[in-house]
Amino acid sequence: MTSTTARTTAPRITPAKALAFLRDYAVLILLAALLIVLAIASPSFFTFANLVNIVNQNTPLALIAVAGTFVIISGSFDLSTAAIYAVGSVAAAWVAMETGNVVLGLLAPPVIGLALGVFNGLAVTVLRVHSFLATLASSLIFQAIAVLITGGALIQVSLDGFSELGRGRIGGVFYTVVILIVFVAIMWFVLKGTVFGRHVFAVGGNPDAAQLSGVRVDRTRVMVFALSGLAAGMAAAIGVSRIASGQPQAGAGLEFDAIAAIILGGTSIYGGVGAVWRSVAGVFLIALIGNGFDILGFNPQIKDLVTGAIILAAVGLAAAGIKRR
Amino acid sequence: MHQSKLRSWRLPVTASVVLLGATALTACSGDGGSAGAGSEDGYEIAVLLSSSQNGYNQAVAKGVQEMADELDADINLTLLDGQFNADTQLSQMETAGVGDKYDGVVVVPFDGPALAAAFPLGNGIPVTSVLNPIGPDLSEMEPQVEGVVSTVAVPAGEAAAKQAEDVVTYCADLDPCKVVLLVGQLNAPLDVTREESYREVLEAEDNIEIVTTVEGNYDPDQSATTITNVLQSTPDVNVILSNADQQTKGAQIALEDAGIDPSTVYLTGGGGTTESIQNVRDGIWKADYINFPVSMGAAAMEQLYNALTGADVESYVNADEVGEIEPYATKETLDETPDYVGEWEG
Repeated sequence: MTSTTARTTAPRITPAKALAFLRDYAVLILLAALLIVLAIASPSFFTFANLVNIVNQNTPLALIAVAGTFVIISGSFDLSTAAIYAVGSVAAAWVAMETGNVVLGLLAPPVIGLALGVFNGLAVTVLRVHSFLATLASSLIFQAIAVLITGGALIQVSLDGFSELGRGRIGGVFYTVVILIVFVAIMWFVLKGTVFGRHVFAVGGNPDAAQLSGVRVDRTRVMVFALSGLAAGMAAAIGVSRIASGQPQAGAGLEFDAIAAIILGGTSIYGGVGAVWRSVAGVFLIALIGNGFDILGFNPQIKDLVTGAIILAAVGLAAAGIKRR
Repeated sequence: MHQSKLRSWRLPVTASVVLLGATALTACSGDGGSAGAGSEDGYEIAVLLSSSQNGYNQAVAKGVQEMADELDADINLTLLDGQFNADTQLSQMETAGVGDKYDGVVVVPFDGPALAAAFPLGNGIPVTSVLNPIGPDLSEMEPQVEGVVSTVAVPAGEAAAKQAEDVVTYCADLDPCKVVLLVGQLNAPLDVTREESYREVLEAEDNIEIVTTVEGNYDPDQSATTITNVLQSTPDVNVILSNADQQTKGAQIALEDAGIDPSTVYLTGGGGTTESIQNVRDGIWKADYINFPVSMGAAAMEQLYNALTGADVESYVNADEVGEIEPYATKETLDETPDYVGEWEG
């Protein structure tokens, strides 16, 4: 009797459950595995300084990926984040040098990013152009604006305090790390705990059903693009502050890195499913590969090969679970 | 109702965007459609930049323009952006090589070996190359393909070897002397050649330990990231040998962030930007391999004009000799030319 009761109440791990777990947490499993391997391989890896550096270096990408999670969950893509980053980068340097005001210069990228994000949202909702094409086109426009501001050259910033945002620390921790933690916490709450967050999921899951349920689909879409633009602008402010020069080619490739991190984390490319923590994990999985290569002195020519293999492994794990179900 | 209202003004908005684009294109096209007409009506010259959004390429274009103005020969330049893409630039060269739109081409090859596929050009117009040769051998400065009349460059391997030799001198009293190689892109033939030259010189020295090779991608931010990572495992690095100023700037940021005084490390770059020259003067960097992109562009335009007018053409112009000063700059050499500020912004 007792043994029968025990048999019926004890949780059973079935292959299907194991695969489902793998699917849901593939990115965390790979992240943990990589952390362990790197900690064993190099005594320099698992140090406070190195871990803080990894977070600091990847803050711009993480900001863009976290906001991009909203875009992808809502069923859209934003391919213009790198171009917004470039505009923000040169605008910050230009404003700072023209006005001599560091604060004004560093506030320019988020404001401009927000405006360009709204522009993207309106292009998608008013013109009814697919977000992939609309943001591809707008990225060309934004990139051209960045080139026109500088004439293609870079703008050096020689003002005291301009680098403080990107390189300053509080208690040994970069300001950027604090900014990232706060931003992630807010975005996590917004996505999981607010009406707007639920609307984002609804729009990505089934926009027609969402519309019929009273969700203002277009407004939600404009807001997610605005958020994405704001994050790209914030990332630009940090990036330009770090190197004290605005460059029209700054941030090249960031849009694809961000999308890769989001998808790698497990957010569905088809919309309706995803989470902020997943994108953060995706960013740092990719970041650890780069950090590991540099620390261990591996041939950088095979970095892309290893990165691609790990992404494939993560996506494959997730797909295995789905097929099984 | 809502959707039909949207649809009703979607068409005018779309049409306005298309019209605006078309108007802008028309306004920008100018008289670009006119054919090159040789000496009677001046010369139409295509300037193929590896990227128009790059300070170095812009400096080359500036030099081409300055020489075109100086020659007083009614020369009209058309700048084309290769977008750092070998296929794009190959297409541009092939397009310039057919028809009679252009009388000549000045090119900054993104990928010299790949660009050779465009030659010989169908219309046989002369081409001068800046920075890299066009052809399979990156160390051969004499024309390798029919149609290239002059190359204004310095062999990448030679320049890299000079940098490495100075590192050997610096390391003479250090054992081990830990060296990090910070190169541009290890999928680019030119940078692979540079890295090979660095290693060839440095590996011959028993006291020199090459810690690692990392890619800087000509980007200060990426270089700062990768050098920060390297410093975690090798905080006692003695030398960071970079082929580009933008990368050296990133390395400097990484050292400062790690609490290391950059002037205590042998930092060197390549390019000769105004900022890098100031850094060498201030003793923050130990050296810089100076390029003279404005002077190089001017020399390429001059040789192209010589070819067009039947004058003597120098098939190889040593880029190290077109500037005002010794190209391998240290604080000591720069002290001899206190007014020199460099030819371009990085």
